[in-house]
Amino acid sequence: MRSFVPSLLRWAAVLLALAWSVGPILLVVTSSFKEARDIFATPPSLVFAPTLDNYRALWAHHPMFFRGLLSSLVVTAGATALTLAVSSLAGYVYARHLGRVLQGTAFVMLALRMLPPIIITIPLFPAVNALGLNDTHGLLILLYAAFYVSIATWIMRAFIAALPRELEEAAEVDGAGLARVLWRIVLPLAAQGMVAAAIFVVVFAWNEFVFALVFTTTSAKTAPVVIAELLGTVEGVQWGVIFAASTIQLAPILALVLLLQRYLVAGLTAGAVKA
Amino acid sequence: MVTPALSLLAVFLLLPSVYVAWLSGHASTYGQGAVFVGWQNYATIFADRAFWRALVNTVVVVHIVVYGELLLGLGLALLLAAPMRGKGMVIALLLAPYAITEASAMAMWRAMLEPDVGLINQALLGLGLEQIEWATERWTALLIASLVAIWHHLPFTFLILYSAVTTVPRELIEAAAIDGARPWQRFRHVTLWVIMPALLVAVLFRTIFAVRIFSEIWLLTEGGPARLTEVLSIYLYRATFKYHEFGSAAATGTIMLLLCMVVALPYLWRLYDRLVRHA
Repeated sequence: MRSFVPSLLRWAAVLLALAWSVGPILLVVTSSFKEARDIFATPPSLVFAPTLDNYRALWAHHPMFFRGLLSSLVVTAGATALTLAVSSLAGYVYARHLGRVLQGTAFVMLALRMLPPIIITIPLFPAVNALGLNDTHGLLILLYAAFYVSIATWIMRAFIAALPRELEEAAEVDGAGLARVLWRIVLPLAAQGMVAAAIFVVVFAWNEFVFALVFTTTSAKTAPVVIAELLGTVEGVQWGVIFAASTIQLAPILALVLLLQRYLVAGLTAGAVKA
Repeated sequence: MVTPALSLLAVFLLLPSVYVAWLSGHASTYGQGAVFVGWQNYATIFADRAFWRALVNTVVVVHIVVYGELLLGLGLALLLAAPMRGKGMVIALLLAPYAITEASAMAMWRAMLEPDVGLINQALLGLGLEQIEWATERWTALLIASLVAIWHHLPFTFLILYSAVTTVPRELIEAAAIDGARPWQRFRHVTLWVIMPALLVAVLFRTIFAVRIFSEIWLLTEGGPARLTEVLSIYLYRATFKYHEFGSAAATGTIMLLLCMVVALPYLWRLYDRLVRHA
């Protein structure tokens, strides 16, 4: 009895926490399968006949959303590939070489994480327009990579530093060049680090809102901006359509986060806390 | 080999922010070169009531978000510190909001707060209470935006604190218990000391990220009604993209930058100490 009551309380608290974190998501996903009159039923309807009407309406009236999804996919893939390429190289250098100048650059790299992203839109907006880069996937890819290169580098550095040096030295003795050592030995062994670094970039690029709002208008507009537009319509928000769009947008990324959560923990420890 | 990484940072982060600081001393708009005006831009925004309101709103939101997240994150971390069945699953589900984009998160909460029919307002009305009016009330709107920000970022704070709590040696807690320390004393004198570095990191990062809050407010009220719920980043966004007053925008940006630097100074100092001086 003495340990029964506290453990019951503990479970109640855990359930409350789960309701807080998962409840709103479940609400959106289930409501996306409800008819308009059921979404805001009083009292809320728990039992309902599921319908795909909202998804049909989204497909029929908002083709922009699906183009947005495609944009999000291109931008996310591009930003992740670029970030991984660039920060694997840098992470290797920081893990294996020391020096005052090099450490100085590491300091600048980490200090720049403190910068509020929105301030760089002031000079970048005119510059980007002058260069004709506005509303392109390439620009978002470069921006997202720039903001995640420091955390990704630090994660790669931590994972590479944990590898034994002897393997690289043995390969060098056998006449392998640096590129070969990196490609054949270091990166395969640091693959877990690459997954950990990638998950942060993927989640950020897939969901980012501010830069996408500022720098895209039509052809590179990403899914979050389209959802925000649906939410911002003046003539009555169509909740069913928004819930359908949100469900499609969140399903893959939520699955990825749940699946790879242990990399998230590892990456956060290596990249955020230790740095 | 560090060149690609560093050039990305230089082109997109370092140079633009240096340029913003430079621009804050100049008058500038479309079709007109920058003219040096000294402190004029700062004088302009300091004379603008909307700027002070945005600053106050930002400070309020930062406080709500940081304290709220720390308390909830620490509570959750302690709750899950001891072994329990299905813990991996529980932690995975607690991380779920991290995967949600701000627009969808705001759609969820706005739907629950719809006047008369939203889940939360229905419950409040059912209990005979007043419903939440976020569309017209300044402080209510800021509170709701902060709540959504907390919901969205709690996974980050929780994970940092949880990893720290799991490093507290069990023997230490048990020894304190044998010495007669009550649970609260064990927390204050043992756990808290061990997790202090992680706690400070969480406070620092959450403060820095809360200062830049934009999406939650933009998607809830766009800073309205009548600019009452603007925060600094929305003030900056309006100055840049609506009024094309790049000088005022740059002055606001510089102030945001300084604010973040001041908060981050102790951390940056320690980082510099470790990375450069003892290299």
